[in-house]
Amino acid sequence: MKILIELSINGDSYELAIEPQVSLAECLRDHLGLTGTKEACGTGECGSCTVLADGKPILSCLTLAADCQDMEITTIEGLASQNVLNPIQEEFLAHGAVQCGFCTPGMVLSTSALLEETSNPTDDQITKALEGNLCRCTGYNKIVAAVHAAADRMSRGSVEDSDK
Amino acid sequence: MRLPRFELKRPGSLDEAAELLREYGGTATLAAGGTDLFPRMKYRLSSPDVVVSLKRVSPAEPTTDSEGNLHIDALMKLADIVRSESVQRHAGLLVEAAHWVGSAQVRHMATLGGNLCLETRCPFFNQSHDYQFAEPCIKRGGDLCYFLPKGKKCWAICQADTAPALVCLEARVCVTDGRQERQQAVEDLFSGDPVRPIGLGATDLVKSIAIPPSSKIRGSAFMKFCPRGGLEFAVVNMAVLLDMHEDLETCARARIVVGAIAASPVRAKKAEDLLSGEKLSEARIAEAAEVTRDEIAPTPRLGYSRSYLRKCIETLCRDGLQRARQRIGRDADAFRS
Amino acid sequence: MSELDYVGKSVLRKDGPDKVTGRALYTVDLHLPGTLVGRILRSPHPHARILNIDTSLAKRVNGVKAVITYQDTLGVKHGFVETPRYPADQDCLASDRVRFVGEEVAAVAAVDEYSAEEALNLIRVDYEPLPAVFDPLEAMHMDAPEIHPTHPKVPEHYRNIAGKTESEWGDIASGFSQSDYVVENRYESHLRTHGYLEPQATVASFEPEGKLNVWTSSQGPFLKRAKLAKTLGLPQSAVRIQKAYVGGAFGGKIDLFAHEYCAALLSMKSGRPVKIIASRPEIFASYRHGQPLLVEVKTGVKKDGTLVAQQYRIINNCGAYRGSGVVVIFLSWGFAMLPYRIPNLRYDGYAVYTNNPIRAPQRGHGAPQIRFAVESQLDAIAEEMGIDPIEIRLRNARQSGEELPNGDNVHNCGLSDSIREAAKHTDFIRKYGKARKKAGPAERYRKGIGIGVSSYFGGSLIYPNSSSVVVKMNDDGTATILTGAMDIGQGAETILCQIVAEEIKMPVEEIQVIAADTETTPVDIGSWISGNAYVSGNAAREAGAAVRRKLLAIASEVMEANIDDLVLEDKTAYVIGSPDVRMSYAELVAASIRTHRGDPIIGDGHWRTMRDTPTHPSLATTKGRWSENYAFDAQVAEVEVDTETGVVRLIRAVTAHDCGFPINPLLVEGQIDGQVSMALGHAFMEEVLMKEGRTLNPNWLEYHMPCIHNVAASEHIDVITESFEIDRPYRTKEVGEGYVSAILAAIANAIYDAAGVRLDSTPFTPEKILRALGKIT
Repeated sequence: MKILIELSINGDSYELAIEPQVSLAECLRDHLGLTGTKEACGTGECGSCTVLADGKPILSCLTLAADCQDMEITTIEGLASQNVLNPIQEEFLAHGAVQCGFCTPGMVLSTSALLEETSNPTDDQITKALEGNLCRCTGYNKIVAAVHAAADRMSRGSVEDSDK
Repeated sequence: MRLPRFELKRPGSLDEAAELLREYGGTATLAAGGTDLFPRMKYRLSSPDVVVSLKRVSPAEPTTDSEGNLHIDALMKLADIVRSESVQRHAGLLVEAAHWVGSAQVRHMATLGGNLCLETRCPFFNQSHDYQFAEPCIKRGGDLCYFLPKGKKCWAICQADTAPALVCLEARVCVTDGRQERQQAVEDLFSGDPVRPIGLGATDLVKSIAIPPSSKIRGSAFMKFCPRGGLEFAVVNMAVLLDMHEDLETCARARIVVGAIAASPVRAKKAEDLLSGEKLSEARIAEAAEVTRDEIAPTPRLGYSRSYLRKCIETLCRDGLQRARQRIGRDADAFRS
Repeated sequence: MSELDYVGKSVLRKDGPDKVTGRALYTVDLHLPGTLVGRILRSPHPHARILNIDTSLAKRVNGVKAVITYQDTLGVKHGFVETPRYPADQDCLASDRVRFVGEEVAAVAAVDEYSAEEALNLIRVDYEPLPAVFDPLEAMHMDAPEIHPTHPKVPEHYRNIAGKTESEWGDIASGFSQSDYVVENRYESHLRTHGYLEPQATVASFEPEGKLNVWTSSQGPFLKRAKLAKTLGLPQSAVRIQKAYVGGAFGGKIDLFAHEYCAALLSMKSGRPVKIIASRPEIFASYRHGQPLLVEVKTGVKKDGTLVAQQYRIINNCGAYRGSGVVVIFLSWGFAMLPYRIPNLRYDGYAVYTNNPIRAPQRGHGAPQIRFAVESQLDAIAEEMGIDPIEIRLRNARQSGEELPNGDNVHNCGLSDSIREAAKHTDFIRKYGKARKKAGPAERYRKGIGIGVSSYFGGSLIYPNSSSVVVKMNDDGTATILTGAMDIGQGAETILCQIVAEEIKMPVEEIQVIAADTETTPVDIGSWISGNAYVSGNAAREAGAAVRRKLLAIASEVMEANIDDLVLEDKTAYVIGSPDVRMSYAELVAASIRTHRGDPIIGDGHWRTMRDTPTHPSLATTKGRWSENYAFDAQVAEVEVDTETGVVRLIRAVTAHDCGFPINPLLVEGQIDGQVSMALGHAFMEEVLMKEGRTLNPNWLEYHMPCIHNVAASEHIDVITESFEIDRPYRTKEVGEGYVSAILAAIANAIYDAAGVRLDSTPFTPEKILRALGKIT
């Protein structure tokens, strides 16, 4: 039996009829066409499906869409504004922190949540914040470098490229 | 992987949730954070007709009563516990344990009550049985055990990180069925039965967890051994706590609780006795670690023999006691992140 | 020769913006109107006869549009290898027998997941279980259950031999008798898997007019097309495979998979698009993993450490079908003989059928297992002979211009330099042996250092054997590349752009890429056998050069100058000495169209490695050319062993390597870091655990792929032996899979250096370390 739900995603409101067992990841991908949110395991072990719920990173594969009605959901599609990449996205590119790209949306969103809370994170804080995001390509070295670089830029509030 | 179909109820209060459980009998399941339940449902280990989601019920802030007990709402998320000043001050051990659970995302979803009541786990159980191990094992209602085929016993283990910490802190749970509330020690919550590890009735909900006041001179440590250092369940976890006399050298009371080695967290009572009332020396700590190793019989598992686990328990215990000793008097500050 | 403007530079990847914004569409993201959900029914038995399959109830489920079994197939078999000696041995769906848990038996397509699931549950298969065997040594016994008959050309009295590789040169017996020291060891490796993040997925859409459109997560579309066409009985031209982004592969997405075949056939049966996404548990439990090898190696050396003779016996647990199991026993021979001179060698490798899932290449394809064995033994020999690990390696390392026993030449070889640089950079000689000499038993944490050496080929001959690239100039002066290459994350499209950019002197941003579409792009060798940068890269260079020549020719006409006096720069042409007077490429294109009967300036380029060699080397005898590009590396690991928990940490990994000319240093670094990480997982924590053919850890919670807690400090030193010159062929050699191996061996050697224990099997678990230290019994 379908139920009617209202979601707010990247600032846009959606009203849709879904079955109650539909996860947020399925809702985003299959019902709303927001396929930037990836699903690699479906059981919360890889972090590919990470989205922000009121700014906090959650696993959209283990969250019911119907349970997201009173919160603001941010997906990777909501991060860049008007085709301008945000500093995290830019630094991921500049540092070679992207290879196959499948973990990237989740990794970028986890980073975004971290930098929202901690403007100048230590290596340990980065590790704790990103421990739930698996990447098979990069070995994480360049991801850590990219997070530091993004933090530097964002805390300086400057847009010039710092280390090029 | 999709969740099986179910009817969703989203009550606004715990009492309402309890009424729903009563109304639907055994066919309804509670979902708090969902990080443990939903993977099991995706594997079809659980297919309830009704899911009672608690996401609409907002947890209360932690409060301290007149006797100094800290009451933590069972629906408080682990990430919020890690951040909470009052939990930090009052029960640093719990903060440290919560910090070790799963991943950042899991901690932002999983609740304290949910982690405490985590289902026991076994590799033969926690997977899809479409074509692997299809015949139900004991935990799935059958009568065989894939892990030890000759036995007629289930060997699933409790891998919750907060459980040993809460047992160590002598925490009590407040359980409600929507009509009546009752208190019981966290330690008594665990049935010891891997098939039904939590001794609660079908309509019972854990409402809150009360942690008695901390002694002034306390040192504690939560230890977790896991291959990657994060993102996973413990091979062995352990909570140790030392309450000291004014001389800062004599142990007034020690508690050592080992987890992930049986269906419940297990207290190392002989080792506790060995430390209580004694001056803490390196040698005494080492001895306590050996006694802990000898009094606990860990369930072996994939890649870890009983012999290894015993050694691991000894090392973790010694390291944990040393760390706890170093933290004496500044326990509350130890886990600030 | 002008300077290099675009290659050798860390240009940012072309697909980067798509990937960081979530715009990149992977196969799992594609949705065609009316798409059905496909699912596959798998065998619960490791070995059983299929007595009957009844799909009648399944077909009646509401929403089910097609159900297929073997009866619906043409009965055409396929395999990773399809040669006269090793013909295809896999059915698309099981016919009368299943040979591993998870083997595909039937498939359904339905309007949603729930109808598909219900239908699967209603398919009745009657099985008669048969005895099964999982261990290769047991499977070789003449009284073991027969999974397939032993290969007719293998004379030994063994059961279940899928294939054998043998090779010999010199005189092994006299080699050992001339040796001052002979030692024999046995090393075991374990089952690992690729761990690509994007699940295996296929969307297939059959048009009633006969065209099959396919999007599939793969390492290259042309091999997929050939195998799909053959098994479905369609002409190749009727099968179109198009690009979607690929979320990692590492060797696990090369040849035909059942979900691809089933999606296609279900679409043909139902007349609707069908999408199949493999679940992660399916991928872990029944898709192809890497290859666990048993390596027995006997080595004879002179007193000074010179290798005299080496004898290998390799047993590969190759799973229920041949898969790449007969390839890995060939490649293992190669990885054994590549880095060091071995005057007398005898090699026997067996691929043995067992009732386990099929095996695939996994990054390194045998090299990590072999190098772990050889380099461990070499360190032990060095210690016995009183030589240090650096000296013994330098003494035996191949040098530039050396010919290999199969007739290949290593050409420029930076191996000795790599060994020296790695040792120097890590202060190896000073550190080595310190921990063992100094540390007393009370020392809990012990540090150690170790080195390993490896070599890897870049490109060989395997279908489709060659790559072609087309570069076309657009009216606005930009260019478009048509390439069949598949970017699986390594940056294939980016480096092809850089190469073309260099040839035609145009910014990478102005070059568009149309890639990996069997219908519109030319053939490509595929993103495996480490040939992409070299084979497709040289094709791109030739295509770019053809355009360059046309641009120069037209400029020469219009600007009335000799071609030799013209300079191309930043998509303009000018006459040497007069850089102020330039013609833009847009103007040159217009001029060409105006004056050359509409010729719009298009160039094509083609490349094949070893162009005078008719075919690939013999997998069975190793005869014939293998490759013309060999990359070399020396890797040093520094570890810390906790002797109380048995946990080992890789605290530093240094890679000194000769990868040829690095087209894009940032991408090269990414490959190195990723391989060090994969080796770290291999060394310490990753293992697919199985019990009687069933997988115990079919998830990432229990299959411990490194997470961000397990970052190894990865450093690298480039030993560049090749150069890039415009309009001249070049060797990029290899960087994508050669560096998972020496580092694994280095870790093993560093553990010995730290703790004095030598482990002869991977992974190096805490349990094994403590057992070796005598701390547990």
